[in-house]
Amino acid sequence: MKERNISPDTPTLRFDRVSVSYGPGLDVLADASFELRPGSMTFLTGPSGAGKSTLLKLAYLALRPSQGRVSLFGIDTARQSRAERALTRRKLGVVFQEFRLLEHLTAFENAALPLRVAGDKEKRYRNDVRELLEWVGLGDRMNARPATLSGGEKQRVAIARAVVMKPDLIIADEPTGNVDTEMADRLMRLFRELNRRVNTTVLIATHDMELIRRTPADVLRIANGLLSRQGQESGR
Amino acid sequence: MSPSAPLLPKEDTREAALFFVVCALCFLASFAGLVARSAYAAADTWADQVTGEITIRVRGDEAAAVRAREIANASPGIDTARLISRSEAEALLAPWLGSSGLPEDIPIPFLIAASATRDAPAVADIIDRRLKEEGLDAIVDEHSVWSSDLRQSTNAAGLAALGAVGLLIATAVAVIAFATHAALLARRDIVEVLHLTGARDGFISSLFEQRFLMLGVRAGATGALLALATAAFMLFLVKQSQDQVWLLPQLSLSLTDGLILGVTPLLAGFAAMISARVTVMQSLSEMV
Ligand SMILES: Nc1ncnc2c1ncn2[C@@H]1O[C@H](COP(=O)(O)OP(=O)(O)OP(=O)(O)O)[C@@H](O)[C@H]1O
Ligand SMILES: [Mg+2]
Repeated sequence: MKERNISPDTPTLRFDRVSVSYGPGLDVLADASFELRPGSMTFLTGPSGAGKSTLLKLAYLALRPSQGRVSLFGIDTARQSRAERALTRRKLGVVFQEFRLLEHLTAFENAALPLRVAGDKEKRYRNDVRELLEWVGLGDRMNARPATLSGGEKQRVAIARAVVMKPDLIIADEPTGNVDTEMADRLMRLFRELNRRVNTTVLIATHDMELIRRTPADVLRIANGLLSRQGQESGR
Repeated sequence: MSPSAPLLPKEDTREAALFFVVCALCFLASFAGLVARSAYAAADTWADQVTGEITIRVRGDEAAAVRAREIANASPGIDTARLISRSEAEALLAPWLGSSGLPEDIPIPFLIAASATRDAPAVADIIDRRLKEEGLDAIVDEHSVWSSDLRQSTNAAGLAALGAVGLLIATAVAVIAFATHAALLARRDIVEVLHLTGARDGFISSLFEQRFLMLGVRAGATGALLALATAAFMLFLVKQSQDQVWLLPQLSLSLTDGLILGVTPLLAGFAAMISARVTVMQSLSEMV
């Protein structure tokens, strides 16, 4: 289990009056402020095109806000050097809405990618990655390339890649969009496990209201560029 | 489980095209280099051979010719001077006049071939003056005069060739840079995923630098070796059909040839590597 030397009071993720505009008249997010406490689990919901992915991109440092400040682990990310931001990214586990698996790598290699980037040796992580892929039901597809995987299988590889480093913050964009209810609950359990056991903070974008109802967590709602917090207590 | 695949995919068609482009350009550049180098060498040998040759044409009878030879032989700075016999002269003229020999009654001037020691100053003028003093009707022809003309013109041609090679190299480098850039744009997704996974810029860039350095070196070496083979083959063909080989470019695999063949792949690899770095860094700079 990894050491966490962040003060328990420091929010894992914090937005201060963040606005995003993709161009004139393309304002997606206006003056959004919120924070995620360490070890919290939060759903981000809202209609399609409301800006969920945009907000997550700000959080996983793929997009700069037009205005405002995005802080991770108590540090204003705009003030970090590129090398520091690279290290911050290693504390994040991201499930992209469009998966973004590397086509030339197998399911196993895709899932292990963050470990490789961080410089780990394969013989040290091989068993962990296998176990993880077995857990998400891909034990027999480890050597398959993304092109030969179904949508749901790709999604599970993407999730395995996101959690493989036991990150401090998981950011998942529609992680259950391509799987059935049973698999969706299983994947949610994976996030919950990490959340409970390693105190991982979890932020999940979804418009699956049923999933939100079944899973005890906080809910952020985004609509018309405005962000609101809906009262639902984290069931910890 | 097999060891993990490289982080970059195997070569795709775009990189195969890049390989071909680099190979072709390196072939052209090193072929031009070899040709320019050997033309230089040929001109050098050629000029060396005629330098120091003095020909004296004597009109009159054989006695005058013998006398002229003695004068020439006695002049300071002359190694040897010998009278060229009529049959030798006919042989020299054969290419122009046919081998049937000359009619007896056509006067051929007597020819004296003298070789001067290297850097004997104005030997020809001295001989000319002495012959005049003796009242001999003779013309002294100093090859070193036109051999210096020859040198000048081969120097000019060499410079032009060198310029052409330089231009070719510059073009090759530019095209390699463009082609590398194009081949890399398709890899932007990989760059972005690695970036978002927490890879440092230098790490991502070095993956591509290594890949394109190797590609450039392999393609450049292939092109250079093809150029060498082509040059050797051409020389072989020419040698088969002619015996005046000394007029032809010399391919002796000198140090310069080795340098051309060795530098070409390095230059190609370096050009590809640098443009890969610039392209990747540029892509990365657009990412947060
Ligand atoms: N790069 C971009 N350039 C311009 N507009 C963009 C860009 N990315 C997103 N948008 C627009 O911003 C708005 C929000 O997009 P976003 O992807 O954040 O929505 P979303 O809530 O994730 O939708 P969905 O539920 O369908 O995934 C949309 O209107 C979209 O068209
Ligand atoms: Mg989205």
